Amino acid sequence: MEIRIKSVSKDFFSEGKRIRALANVDLTIPANQIFTLLGPSGCGKTTLLRCIVGLETPDSGEIAIGEEIVWSKEKHIFVPPEKRGLSMVFQTYAIWPHMTVFDNVAYPLQTRKEPRDEIRSKVEKTLRFVQLEGLENRPATKLSGGQQQRVALARALVPEPKVILFDEPLSNLDAKLREETRKELRSFLTELRITAVYVTHDRIEALSLSDAIAVMKDGNMVEIGTPKKIYFDSEHRFVADFIGRANLIDGKVTAVEDSYTIVDSSIGTITCQKSPEATVGNEVSLCIRPEFIKVIEGEASEHRNIFRGRVESLLFIGEAYEGEIIIADTLLITRIEPTTAVKEGDEIALSLDPDHCFVLLK
Amino acid sequence: MNRAMLNTRTALTPSLIAIVGFLTVCPVFMLVFGSLSEGIGAFGKLTLEKYIQSYTDPAFAGIIVNTVIFTIGSAFVATLLALFLAYLNTRTNIPFKFLFRIISIIPMMIPHILFSVSWVLLLNPSNGLINLFLKQFLNLQNSPFNIYTLGGMILVEGLLDLPIAYLILAPAMAAFDVSLEESSKVSGASNLRTLIKVTLPVLRPAILASFILVIVRSLASFAVPSIIGMPGRIYVLATHIYRIIATGFAADFGMAAAVGMSALAASIALIYLYRYLTSESEKYVTISSRGYRPTVIDLKNAKYPLFGIVGLLSFVLIVLPVLVLFYTSLVPYSIVPSAKAFSMMTWKNWLEVLRDPISLLSLKNSVFLGIVGATLGVILSIFVSYVIVKVRTPAAGVLESLSFLSFSFPGIVIGVGFMWFFVRTPLYATIWSLLIGYIATYLPYGIRPLTSAFVQIHSHLEESSRVCGGGTLYTLRRIVVPLLIPGIVSGWILMATMFVRELTLSVVLSRPGTEVLAVQILRFAEDGLWGKLSALGIMMIFISTLIVVIAFLIGTRLTKMEESHR
Repeated sequence: MEIRIKSVSKDFFSEGKRIRALANVDLTIPANQIFTLLGPSGCGKTTLLRCIVGLETPDSGEIAIGEEIVWSKEKHIFVPPEKRGLSMVFQTYAIWPHMTVFDNVAYPLQTRKEPRDEIRSKVEKTLRFVQLEGLENRPATKLSGGQQQRVALARALVPEPKVILFDEPLSNLDAKLREETRKELRSFLTELRITAVYVTHDRIEALSLSDAIAVMKDGNMVEIGTPKKIYFDSEHRFVADFIGRANLIDGKVTAVEDSYTIVDSSIGTITCQKSPEATVGNEVSLCIRPEFIKVIEGEASEHRNIFRGRVESLLFIGEAYEGEIIIADTLLITRIEPTTAVKEGDEIALSLDPDHCFVLLK
Repeated sequence: MNRAMLNTRTALTPSLIAIVGFLTVCPVFMLVFGSLSEGIGAFGKLTLEKYIQSYTDPAFAGIIVNTVIFTIGSAFVATLLALFLAYLNTRTNIPFKFLFRIISIIPMMIPHILFSVSWVLLLNPSNGLINLFLKQFLNLQNSPFNIYTLGGMILVEGLLDLPIAYLILAPAMAAFDVSLEESSKVSGASNLRTLIKVTLPVLRPAILASFILVIVRSLASFAVPSIIGMPGRIYVLATHIYRIIATGFAADFGMAAAVGMSALAASIALIYLYRYLTSESEKYVTISSRGYRPTVIDLKNAKYPLFGIVGLLSFVLIVLPVLVLFYTSLVPYSIVPSAKAFSMMTWKNWLEVLRDPISLLSLKNSVFLGIVGATLGVILSIFVSYVIVKVRTPAAGVLESLSFLSFSFPGIVIGVGFMWFFVRTPLYATIWSLLIGYIATYLPYGIRPLTSAFVQIHSHLEESSRVCGGGTLYTLRRIVVPLLIPGIVSGWILMATMFVRELTLSVVLSRPGTEVLAVQILRFAEDGLWGKLSALGIMMIFISTLIVVIAFLIGTRLTKMEESHR
């Protein structure tokens, strides 16, 4: 089901100060996709999610889920959360400690007074789906963190909702478990084909799970796009920097070629991916991710985007080295293959991949 | 949507502040007023006469000295014993660790007045059972022990306050960061040296906190000073106040209030010190978030002798008092257990108590106060805890401080304050005056378990139920109330047991017609009717236990109902 949010605003008051959590947000979340709201803490992503589910009421605007308007300031509509037919997985899982696994999962069906044997078969089916079969009669608090997370997921899935909302559901798991659960979640959600709205501040989670990502900052939508678009071809400096390791270099457009934009910067002239908006004379920022800066061993075969610099530091991080290279007083972070023979203090040549060097308008 | 709800919520805090404020501030205010007044019926003119009269009394200095020795002595006994037990339990491989839980909880079930009486029955110089026994077997002329001394008072009060000290020290000891000790041992220190140089200094805030709390409790204690102190003519502040209002010459409530002021001031000051220290100790003994396992010290050969001491202590604390009382209730006069004694046993004392109208009335009153008082007290505690935990406005902070204020009130002093108030109302000499006084004094006992229950109910638990399709009432019924029930039950049990045995407030507020169990027991003690006293005492323990068991069963039943809801 599609979710449409029209100019929704929300302020909080804290210690006499007014904090703008949502500033006229317009957003359409397409049906049957995994849609992620990504942003640093305090950007309003959780507030937006809580407005959608009905736990928070906006100050103005309108929210519609499918055909039904669930909140409208002008039309005086407020559908309470229990009537919206959504499911939500909370950051704390919100597992009820006085109930067994079965009761936790059966709860949404019990609120609708479904017949007992139907509840039983649905709960069993769902528990099988999340691989918790056999744990029905365990007190819910006697489970491990990962298992509790799956109980929360099962409880969200059991009423077969059209929309399911996730509020940072993996943030309480340890790193390894988080990785596994992320994969599982992805396969569960694609299998079910439902609309999922996912809130996170973890960029890897956002990139790996989502069909589309909306990046938020200070209560505003900054940019919406597919994970690849956001990562490789973002339009905003904030987004480019937030979504991954990035080298941001200031410069000025000096020429626009057929397939490249040429930018003059502190490290020299850089050939970049063509940017439709940039014209000669624009002050711009360039973004290049560390993995697209290559150390050249031997003679350079290309002649574009070759720079000479000195290795300032090398940090071994397992799968590669993270190197800091100084080129004319500008520090670039690069990813260097562990087999490359470089050491700190070496003078080296680098090549910047023009297709992954993108221009951000200021 | 929640406009109406919001309004009731905003009205809730001020009305609770008004109720709790009345309960805690009113007696203090009336105490101050009373101390400056000319007499209990008088209005208008304020005077310092009562202060001059009471503080220039030549006997007063001696009473203060007694009070200081008694409270500090009890604090030493209780804290040292608690340290010993807590260390053995948390840090060594002593066997049968379940005994420690029993030691820390059960003595609270035995009313202090009965515990004191049982020691009198054992160690009084004229016919204490242990004295009689020793005289008989060692052919002594005089009794070897005399309980009617400061030392006797300190011993009994120290044992009574042991559970409190233990409940403060054991968690602090268990939360101790073991790496501090390990680094000491790595540096070459022995177990004992580590204990003295590292463990105890780090635990100092907790030890001080326990020490101070025991001082406050023994300052407020009335059972030990009245049962053990008064026969030996050893008076402390609490019994001095009692003497002024209840014995001999005409009761002088003005003087009682003037004397009470110093006990109250000392108590409030100590409680503030206590709260400061506990917040300090939370800072001090922080547990690292890592899972840690305290190193268990192998006691080797000392294991069983040390366990012997623990076993003896639990016998003395739990079994002996009940045993002595039950025995005394069956024999016609004090006599060492023997074939002759057993042949003389009858139910005569029990039957006499059951035929005594005042004893029966006190039974009825205490049960009423226990059940009705605890119920009302818990209802008030639910609202107060809700505001403290969930509303969290500055006004809620005021409510929190107000509701814990009475924790520092010595019962007899606050009773005098209430007396000054009730005498001006139609509530005077009714059972309702006792009920109000009880709730005011013991409110923190209801609030404690309920605040922790509310803390446990994270807002996500309610929100998640709403999203799952449960309306407000449905959520209340299936999520909030079931999660609160354990807190409600323990709050109710705590209050009910406190109320059934209440002595210190009751000796002031109880009038003919509103006798309660503990006061009736005190009368029997003053008249030396030990047999009847013991019979009534055993009934009192039985009733408390019965109330606890029933409340507990209802609690489990209610929780079960939630589980079977499928």
